Amino acid sequence: MRDSAVKERVETLMRGVPGRFTSGLHSERVAARLGLWLGISFTVAFATGLFSHFMQHPPGRLAWPSRPVGLYRVTQGLHVIGGLATIPLLLAKLWTVYPKLWQWPPFRSLSHAVERALVLVLVGASLFQSITGLLNVSYAYLWPFSFPAAHYWTAYLLYGALVIHVVNEWAKVRRQLWTREEVEPREAVTTRRRFLGTVAAASGLTVLFTVGETYAPLSGLALLAPRNPHTGPQGLPVNKSAAAAGVTAVIRDPGYRLTVTGAVRTPLALAYDDLLRLPQHTVRLPIACVEGWSAEAEWSGIRLRDLAALAGVAPDAVLTVESLERGGGYRSSEVRPPHWNDPLTLLALRIDGAPLAPDHGFPVRLIAPNRPGVLQTKWVSKVVAA
Amino acid sequence: MNVGRSLGYGLGGALVVAGVAGLVVDARLTDPLGWALWFGGLIVAHDGVLVPLVLLAGVAVGRLREPSPVRAGLTVAAVLSLVALPMVAGIGRRADNSSLLPLDYGRNLLVVLGLIALVTALTMIAVRLRGSRRRG
Repeated sequence: MRDSAVKERVETLMRGVPGRFTSGLHSERVAARLGLWLGISFTVAFATGLFSHFMQHPPGRLAWPSRPVGLYRVTQGLHVIGGLATIPLLLAKLWTVYPKLWQWPPFRSLSHAVERALVLVLVGASLFQSITGLLNVSYAYLWPFSFPAAHYWTAYLLYGALVIHVVNEWAKVRRQLWTREEVEPREAVTTRRRFLGTVAAASGLTVLFTVGETYAPLSGLALLAPRNPHTGPQGLPVNKSAAAAGVTAVIRDPGYRLTVTGAVRTPLALAYDDLLRLPQHTVRLPIACVEGWSAEAEWSGIRLRDLAALAGVAPDAVLTVESLERGGGYRSSEVRPPHWNDPLTLLALRIDGAPLAPDHGFPVRLIAPNRPGVLQTKWVSKVVAA
Repeated sequence: MNVGRSLGYGLGGALVVAGVAGLVVDARLTDPLGWALWFGGLIVAHDGVLVPLVLLAGVAVGRLREPSPVRAGLTVAAVLSLVALPMVAGIGRRADNSSLLPLDYGRNLLVVLGLIALVTALTMIAVRLRGSRRRG
């Protein structure tokens, strides 16, 4: 008897919860508008993220074009800066629909339970992607997993749950945003516009104070960006220092040789001075990091295709550029034909006329157009043709 | 159920399955237990801590005479503080690389918050002036 009385009181209490959210902004109309914005920004993030992933891990013999030069810089800038701008949208959307979390009964049917489980996946994955993404670009690696792997697979989870959510809610979005005819009180319209304006302002200011880490003309405004495109050795940011790579001593070895081996007609072994005697070229290229920042510099050195011609490498060969670094996931990188045949692709010896700083890859580093920064291998000692 | 709906469920379901399968198959890198703790922890932190705090702040601001500029200012300030927090905390700083987190983020955040406060105050003054002119 007492049990059922308690149960009844809990029921009454729970049924009353959603009604206690009195703001008119917890509405379908606001949720539809924010949902539309979020759908667009998650689509951009998913597309640019997949682009970055498959650029770093090209399936089979797929070869990305080496032009346009700044393509990766733009897509990854969109991914990261756009991702930061999504945080205000996401928080606003979750606040708007928060009363629904307390709906009673929690599950009306099996299909309702499945729908809510998928919404939980969507909410969890959205928070996971935005917050770990934010922490990752701030170099706060507070987790036991590999960020790229977790971020990559969670993206599928997020986008899948999003597609299902859109299918379920599409009729509401259409009704609210396009086919609605009823007249609203003027005050409701003002309140909603003010709220959406505030959310848009938060997104816009997030972009304004961070985008300068990749768009140099606004670097002075990049007050909250983890990088400044002009700060670092030789005025250029660094991801992994020579000390962190454990190469400070070995790069000073007078016996250093750059070797070109594998499927070649003439294997080469060139000392630093030999490299300086080869025809030098100067190019202006950005380093575009997977973390969203990018910075341009003037690089001088030898064209990779000149070196390949010297060794007699077939034009359709795949080159692997290896570093003096002993371990690490990025100690070597593959350079496929479109990239190494591009005259802009250099084994660089200098930045702005001065020899590379140890942190930028002394004695030699790879620099190529339209390529993620992690694949611009530093401290190069070996080129292997296959 | 129409074709578009089925296609959507099929595509969405396939992506969800791919994501879960990837997280499990790639367990050496994704550390499923650690992943699940972050996934669930963020939901709990958001739904159980962040939103209730925002609701309380909302109730407090609602008692002001002219709540809207304050509400907007606080919302923008809170979001930018959240975005700046990991940088202000400086967790990612490394002695061997001064180009990581090169700025004084505490000071920069104060500058940003100051600007937001200034715009909020100016808006409040403008709203009041307009109100008194209307009454006068």
